[in-house]
Amino acid sequence: MAFAQLADEDLMQLVRRGDAEAFAVVYDRHATAAFSLAYRMTGTRNTAEDVVQEAFLSLWRSGARYDRTRGSVRTWVLGIVHNRAIDALRRSMVHDRRRASDEGIEERFEARERTDVEAARRDEARDVRQALGTLPPEQCKVIELAYFGGFTHSEIASLLDTPIGTVKGRMRLGLEKLRGQLGGLAEAMS
Amino acid sequence: MNACAHRDDVGSYVLRALPEDEHERFESHLATCEGCRREVADLQMAADTLPLAAVQVGPPPELRERIMAVVRSEAELLNAAEERADEQRPDPARSPRRRRRWPALSLRPLPAALAAGVLVAAGVVGGVVLSGGSHTSTVTGTVRIASAPAARASLQLSDDATKLEVRRMPPPPSGKVYQVWLKRPNQNPAPTTALFRTDANGSADVEIQRGRLKGVDQVLVTAEPDGGSMAPTSAPVIIASPA
Repeated sequence: MAFAQLADEDLMQLVRRGDAEAFAVVYDRHATAAFSLAYRMTGTRNTAEDVVQEAFLSLWRSGARYDRTRGSVRTWVLGIVHNRAIDALRRSMVHDRRRASDEGIEERFEARERTDVEAARRDEARDVRQALGTLPPEQCKVIELAYFGGFTHSEIASLLDTPIGTVKGRMRLGLEKLRGQLGGLAEAMS
Repeated sequence: MNACAHRDDVGSYVLRALPEDEHERFESHLATCEGCRREVADLQMAADTLPLAAVQVGPPPELRERIMAVVRSEAELLNAAEERADEQRPDPARSPRRRRRWPALSLRPLPAALAAGVLVAAGVVGGVVLSGGSHTSTVTGTVRIASAPAARASLQLSDDATKLEVRRMPPPPSGKVYQVWLKRPNQNPAPTTALFRTDANGSADVEIQRGRLKGVDQVLVTAEPDGGSMAPTSAPVIIASPA
């Protein structure tokens, strides 16, 4: 069977055995989402490329650690990218980090050959952005600063001149609301 | 309802907004708190949707080429090591004593004085620090042991010596010892006399050789029969690329 027909979880079984071509299919399926997240977080293409390279090589070398009972391959990949991007941001110790500007970027979803997948990705992106938009602004802000900015709760407290306890509470409440609004999508991703 | 006093840390934890020390403390807490574990699982699902909000931008094709070049070369290396391992597996018809062994191998733990001087730069790939006037660079290795996801390995490279440092690594299987190999381009892994076992904490500091490695593109570690082998008899459990 062609690799392109296999589910991610089956491809990971082959990756675990050192199959480079199975890995290439996993890369093709998730590289755009990975790069987009890294670019949004680090604000520069070069750093985003470094982060994605580190993340996918780590995935290749530690494929045995993927546990399908703990979530989809996509979630696992994006979790690795998120951690690597945070490491890169904290290593740089630059806290007035440039944020990627969305202006002038032509949004491109993956799966060039499959319009149904592309349409589904567009719908998911719209749902998540809408759900973030309905949060109270102070909850949305702390979630964005933490998740995309890589700031710690104490850095956010300092940036917003707000007590740490309040920042932590806003993060938890905001995530609870997101979870409520995106229940189906959140479960589908896990 | 989770009434735990640490409940407010759950949101920060799933967003990775806890500083490293608090992150580790909260993970220890999770091991004993069912309420927080349930809440982490619940909120993690929300956090996992956040990447979808990023504007989707395609990576450059060169990135794929760079990554796949590394992946293909490591796949070849693994296949070669496994083929060698198959060749070296003892033939049941043969006396075990006839299996080839590296004749002068012995366990070589790093002397305490050297161990104390080992510089740690965990997680830094190719980081460079200054130590006693000579540059020491640290290369993070990859540990391929599914049962030990927390295991870490790094090479310390300086003009004085090349050392391997491992942490939270399980002991080798009974009757076996870890052996370090040096792989040069287009050659089979060459054995070294660096054999080691990990201590009760899973740690070991091993001097691979005096001075810097020359022409070596991969440092490998395999589990070998006591006394070591002339060629790997199992797949590498650590791969580090010093170049």
